[in-house]
Amino acid sequence: MIKIFQYECRRLLWNKFFLGFLLVLLFYGWQVLNRVTILGVSHTAPFSSWSFGDYLSRMLPLLWIGTLFFLTFFTSGKARRVTILTDAAPMSRRRYALARSAAALVGTGMVSLACLAEAAVFYVRYFGFVRLELLLPALVILPPALVFALGSGWLLGRYRGWMLYIWMLAPILCMFLPLPDCLGIWNGSFFHQYPLMLGTLDPAFSLPWSILFVQGILLFLGIGLLLVCPQKLPFSTKTSPLYDTLSCGGGYDAKKDSSDRR
Amino acid sequence: MKTIKLFPLELGRLLKSRLTWLVILLTVLAPASGLVLYQPATASTMLSVYLANPAIAGGVAGGILFGLLTVYELDRSSRSRVNVLTDTTVSPLVMALVHLWALMAVSLLTLGLTMLVWLPVSAGMIGSVFDGSNYLLAYILLMGLALPLSILAAAAAYQFTGRADLSLVLFAAFAGLSLTVWAENWQLCWLNPCVWALSDDFSNLRIFRSVAYMRLTWLMALGGVWGISYLCVRQYGKGIIGSLAVGVRRIYRPAVALLLLICSGIAYAAQPMVDHSNPDQTVMTFSEVPYAEEVVCTGRSAKVYPDTEAGAVSGRAAYQFQNTSGEEQTVDFGINPGYTVSSVEANGEEVPFSVSSYQEYNEAMLEATIPAGEQVELVVEYSGFPRENSNTSVLQGSVEISETYLCLQNADLSPRLINVMPDEGMYPTTIEITLPSSMTVIPFGSSKAKSLGENEDGTITWQYEDNGTGGILYAGDYVMENIEAAGMEIEFYYGRKHQSVMEAAGAVEAVKAVAEYCTEHYGSLSFTNGGTLELVQSRVSGGGYATDGASLLDEADFTASNLGNGSKGAAAGEVMIHELVHQWWGLGNMFDTSDSTSAWSAEGLTVYTTYRIVKELYGESYAQEHYIDQWQQAVDDYYQDFYVRHPEYLEMLPEDQQLEITGNLSYVRQYCEMPLKILKAEQLAGGEEAMDQILKGLFNRELDPAYPYLTYQEFLDACGLTEEELNLD
Repeated sequence: MIKIFQYECRRLLWNKFFLGFLLVLLFYGWQVLNRVTILGVSHTAPFSSWSFGDYLSRMLPLLWIGTLFFLTFFTSGKARRVTILTDAAPMSRRRYALARSAAALVGTGMVSLACLAEAAVFYVRYFGFVRLELLLPALVILPPALVFALGSGWLLGRYRGWMLYIWMLAPILCMFLPLPDCLGIWNGSFFHQYPLMLGTLDPAFSLPWSILFVQGILLFLGIGLLLVCPQKLPFSTKTSPLYDTLSCGGGYDAKKDSSDRR
Repeated sequence: MKTIKLFPLELGRLLKSRLTWLVILLTVLAPASGLVLYQPATASTMLSVYLANPAIAGGVAGGILFGLLTVYELDRSSRSRVNVLTDTTVSPLVMALVHLWALMAVSLLTLGLTMLVWLPVSAGMIGSVFDGSNYLLAYILLMGLALPLSILAAAAAYQFTGRADLSLVLFAAFAGLSLTVWAENWQLCWLNPCVWALSDDFSNLRIFRSVAYMRLTWLMALGGVWGISYLCVRQYGKGIIGSLAVGVRRIYRPAVALLLLICSGIAYAAQPMVDHSNPDQTVMTFSEVPYAEEVVCTGRSAKVYPDTEAGAVSGRAAYQFQNTSGEEQTVDFGINPGYTVSSVEANGEEVPFSVSSYQEYNEAMLEATIPAGEQVELVVEYSGFPRENSNTSVLQGSVEISETYLCLQNADLSPRLINVMPDEGMYPTTIEITLPSSMTVIPFGSSKAKSLGENEDGTITWQYEDNGTGGILYAGDYVMENIEAAGMEIEFYYGRKHQSVMEAAGAVEAVKAVAEYCTEHYGSLSFTNGGTLELVQSRVSGGGYATDGASLLDEADFTASNLGNGSKGAAAGEVMIHELVHQWWGLGNMFDTSDSTSAWSAEGLTVYTTYRIVKELYGESYAQEHYIDQWQQAVDDYYQDFYVRHPEYLEMLPEDQQLEITGNLSYVRQYCEMPLKILKAEQLAGGEEAMDQILKGLFNRELDPAYPYLTYQEFLDACGLTEEELNLD
């Protein structure tokens, strides 16, 4: 199990996509920090939890896209073609699926940590310090959204690989749509509006129950889907041009994989 | 040759794909999202709402779709695992070119279809101010060029990475930056050009030029990036480095790519559209230059030749000085940073001069040395493409020079004298300007232009007398209406295309109402040109100004879309009201403007009076919502701003970011805080009628010729209040 997990981690994290994605993410993040976060949101400091939350909600679409791309490593045409071999291997299908989920989680966690580290560098550079309380908005925003991305991505990828690519557009659409308050994290409106509603200057970070509820639901839904969906492999054998087009993930080196198992 | 043979085959194949047609269809429909979802142009003119927004939205959506299609098509052979076979038949480099040209051709077809489909829709929605050339330029520049840029960006990303997933992420981040953090930087927003308004009544060439320049810069940059990526196209089974090593063997390939990149870099750095004015708008070093000793200006003249096709200006300005100091003196002028000074002559002989690289308030400083002789005539020859103020680069379009409209302000018209005193308090000025015969010339102020006759090329030379170091000139296809109001004669100039809207909106009645309100409440005006007030409609500019005997009216004051806005009545006209009120506060009564950070200025009383007029015209709830609530919000926002409360953190930031944050300091204090204080004074002094009596008394007070300004202390004394009593909670 650990060997498979390590192998999948290596496959996800040690490739051109991960490195390239990391670079793009860091460049995008630096632009957001230098041009938007530095001004602070809703009269709060740029290093407040609210401004930091706004930064994370702006990074969310790119993190979401990256997370779903990690899944294409397992749902791509190449990966699908070797499932007949992996299924024949003498190992528990559940454990194999869990190892893959864990590897995808690690990949997502790594890019999220990169975002956090970049913000920390930004705060230290400009203000000379970084506050630990920023972890709270990070915990409220990132794990629910990204675990849900993984879980829902598994579900969609299981049926139709190309649906992952449509699903990548979801947070981008959210930014343009007038969402209810409980989904305010998804278009960033929460961090601009809620601190003003609290009626005090520099309010401590707090969340209304509706937001906590939605984020909690998303987190549990994501975990549930992650535990259930990956075990439903193999994926649908139906293909479409779009599915084949974009599913080029990290590729699945069948020769290497079978030699590993030997 | 192979590329040319393969191109029709590839184009045909592309056009047989259902996905291509889906992308074409969605792109054709995309401008609809500019009517409801994505509306970056905020002005209320018909062309902004029904042309700029749909075209920009179409460009954004179409660009993204074509970027995705590009990745899909470039990845086709690799995805189908036939690239090994195709690469042996056709060079991957040839195929990369063929793919690019085929996609470009499809984008051209899509643009053509979009323009055909939206032509009747736009014409119907825009109505009488629809104009074919605006339509063509808007769709080509705001939408059309987004498609090839996206294709180049996506293709370059794919050719560099050789992977569809990474190229999609790269493209998404690149598009995302343009749509979010770069959206207010006119040079960086490659996908969604920074267009805030299009004029209905006059031309839009300046803003179209700005967008075209931005597009051209990016076309060169992305062309260069694509050129480099072209060298990285995988061939002979090699990786990126190996393929690059093969690709650069033909030296012209990297040379062309590098040339494009260098050109784009130069185009970015040396852009001609906006200047490099000091972002700190509280600094006014040009006005602090000491006057040249024992030198006076006895008169000046200028001959100005606008090039209405190129949007440029050339001119020859002459200044008469009396230099009684007995030695050489340095005279300074403010000049538009876009102009080049070709020669400066004193009494017919060349004299040394320099133009400063430092710029502020849209001016650079021209410094010239005049000889010791008593009578000196200094002649400055200048020409160039005027630049706009970089601090308002998101609101470009004000220096419009075309056959239907022209606006030249102060240093745009001729070099503005900075450090020489006038002789007997006067700078007698003669301006001559040569323009197409269709244009009416309107000097902004008390002067009247007269025609000197038609020239051989069909142009007309106009001349007018003025007094001052600067001066503003409007010209265009105007009609003039004479209005009699409150004992004043008002010459009301507006664009010919706007006539029907002006009549439907009751603009004349609105002007009369404002003039009568102010005269009744504060007193009559007296003008230097014998009781005539000029009211000139400008191209949509987001604001206005006033001078002795003339006020500006923004095109957006009275638009067809405002006609249907029930909350305002038929006529909005709030910029017009504000600028007309300045004839009473700011010109009829002057304010000391030496301290730009002071909250007390003409704006406080003008904004307050505008509020009172709007309250009378549109009702109390409208005035409360659009004036008092907004002042309060702006003041609250300002005082609650983190950096205002904690300036110690502001000092930790780089200077440019500090200036960006503090930029609106004087605006909020003068336009929002002071009106709130005057409103508080009104309540403490006993209500509106009592305040009207106080202001009437102040307006008609006896002036001190040595210091004719209305001070805050005089206002407080007249109200019987102290400064502390007007502090806002």
